[in-house]
Amino acid sequence: MTIERIKPGDFTRTPAGPAPRPDYDHAMIPKERYVSADYMRLEWERMWTKVWLLGCRMDDIPDPGDYHVTTIGKEEIILVRQQDGSVRGFYNVCLHRGNRIMVGEGNATSFKCQYHFWEYGLDGDFVNIPDLETFPQGAPPCRGLRPVRCDTWNSFVWFSLDPEAPPLLDYLDPLQEHLEPYHFERMVKVADMTVEWDCNWKASVDAFNESYHVQGIHPELLYFIEDKDVQIDCYGRHNRYLVPFSTISHRVEETTEIPHLIKHAMKEAGMDPADFDGRVTEVRKALQAWKRKHGPEMGLDYSDLNDDQLTDDYHYNIFPNLTLNTHADDLMLFRQRPHPSDPNKMFFDLLIFKLLKQDEPVPKKPRHEQFRHGEKSLGLVLDQDAYNLPGVQAGMNSDSFKGLWIGDQELRIRHFHHVLESYVGS
Amino acid sequence: MDLQLKGLKAAVTGGTRGIGHSILQLLADEGCDVSTCGRAPERVAAVRTLLAGKGVRSHAETVQGRDGDSVRQWMRNSVDALGGLDIFVASLSAGGGTDEERYWYRNFEIDLMSAIRGVEEALPALRRSEQASILILGTMAASETFVAPMAYNAIKAALITWSKQLSQQLAPEGIRVNCLSPGPTMFKGSNWEMIRVARSRIYDNAIRQQPTRRMGTAEEIAKAAVFLASPAASWCNGSHLLVDGGYSKRVPF
Repeated sequence: MTIERIKPGDFTRTPAGPAPRPDYDHAMIPKERYVSADYMRLEWERMWTKVWLLGCRMDDIPDPGDYHVTTIGKEEIILVRQQDGSVRGFYNVCLHRGNRIMVGEGNATSFKCQYHFWEYGLDGDFVNIPDLETFPQGAPPCRGLRPVRCDTWNSFVWFSLDPEAPPLLDYLDPLQEHLEPYHFERMVKVADMTVEWDCNWKASVDAFNESYHVQGIHPELLYFIEDKDVQIDCYGRHNRYLVPFSTISHRVEETTEIPHLIKHAMKEAGMDPADFDGRVTEVRKALQAWKRKHGPEMGLDYSDLNDDQLTDDYHYNIFPNLTLNTHADDLMLFRQRPHPSDPNKMFFDLLIFKLLKQDEPVPKKPRHEQFRHGEKSLGLVLDQDAYNLPGVQAGMNSDSFKGLWIGDQELRIRHFHHVLESYVGS
Repeated sequence: MDLQLKGLKAAVTGGTRGIGHSILQLLADEGCDVSTCGRAPERVAAVRTLLAGKGVRSHAETVQGRDGDSVRQWMRNSVDALGGLDIFVASLSAGGGTDEERYWYRNFEIDLMSAIRGVEEALPALRRSEQASILILGTMAASETFVAPMAYNAIKAALITWSKQLSQQLAPEGIRVNCLSPGPTMFKGSNWEMIRVARSRIYDNAIRQQPTRRMGTAEEIAKAAVFLASPAASWCNGSHLLVDGGYSKRVPF
């Protein structure tokens, strides 16, 4: 069965055609990148401290004084809305004795360390150092908290630990054109969780950068997605694949009954599966046409999206650690953060944003939850990935395993490693 | 045992896949001229090719089961193409579906009305036959609580009731009417194949009820069906045969 995709000349704002395929060799990817503490240190010095990273949503800190503390490796960064509406970032480190200053999220008029009440303004500058006269050397010679580069794009706040990093939009190139048609700013956050996983952060990135594992880990998705006829595109630092949804895999036979996940997608769009007389393999195009026609009356503006985007998963990796499952009606965003010191551990952030229908009540902003793997469900599909990953990490640590043997369906993993090498070295 | 099917003419709805397909093939193998219909053009084409290789007269059309006129037209075309009709097997089904009210209409049109319309159009030809029989495919799920309350189970029950009363009406005219209710059946492309992978808990629950821990095959259903439709079952009329490998637990005294 061939998947019908939009053709050249069809409406699209997101570039939809295939990118030139990179000409990579087929070398084994050394496992040390996943298990070695030495590599982890190089990765921190040469990569994490050089790239742009996602901090929070702009609407996490809508008003002056609103702040959000985000963590990357050993660093914590305070992202704060200024009086003039701009966003600035600072290391969450008191210049006195190094204490952490702020926790979580909230609104502040100043940042006051609770150890000795050293106090900083929203702009990071010293406001008050109690008993300053008892410091013969005076205040530290800087103005206050050490700043971090900050910028905003597509409803998110970004930061870089590298003062010399290229501008954010240069770094993200060419994804601005790809992702702005989704209008993430219209979506509201409906889930916000962090889970500690016993694997290297790259093992988690890899798990979402190929659909080859669907047959093994997510068999039920064979009746919802095409897992092999998938367009893979690599762009500079970033990459994507386009996964057809609301169809069935070439690995399974078409049934007379519409599989339940496809029925669910139809019902979400207000299309009654009981009234659909076509075949299962005809649902995807019919659902696209239905959403194009009926979206506006449900208050859903799909006007900047092409037809395939109405059903499919345009799935992006923003180097190094963001996975964006981009859909017309929602954004399922994964952020993979390294453990501060252990290459065998990581933090998996799950953030879900949803486009609301007309008159759909705005859900209460979810409270961020953090837990260990297995303590709480992330939903069937993510649970399946999560269940598998500690086994991957354990196996990688075996003396018998030398490296990753990567096939064409895993081209994004190879591309990711080429970009990683460009930072860390091989 | 000779089923005495050679040279008879049979029409089977939904013969492009699954149980209907196995019944169609078996009838052709037994020497019947056969006609069938189904929704997917390429499957209809494949059936045409298959039947052409069996050395019997055959006919196959693409039909949308909800479209009553096209079902009726197919039956008239079948009688024309085969030059008469002895056996009609109503096997077309929309399958299961819960929650949506519209499933009632869907199963009503595709499961129930396609059978009734097929019979109405077939009757003139069947009355001319010496070996006329009608076989209605019901389901074990009509008489056994199964998966969930749904239109499929209940509409099939209506079909079974109708087939029994039809047998009384048509017997004096020499037309036998029987009903066969399969239990869960596994074949390539079956809904159960999908459920096994995509909704494994429902599958596991069903398989636990099977004393042999497996589902039936389409061929196993077809053998019973072809017997019941054949002249060899001449004294079977108004019977309702459950072919479910022992899934159902009640004792039908």
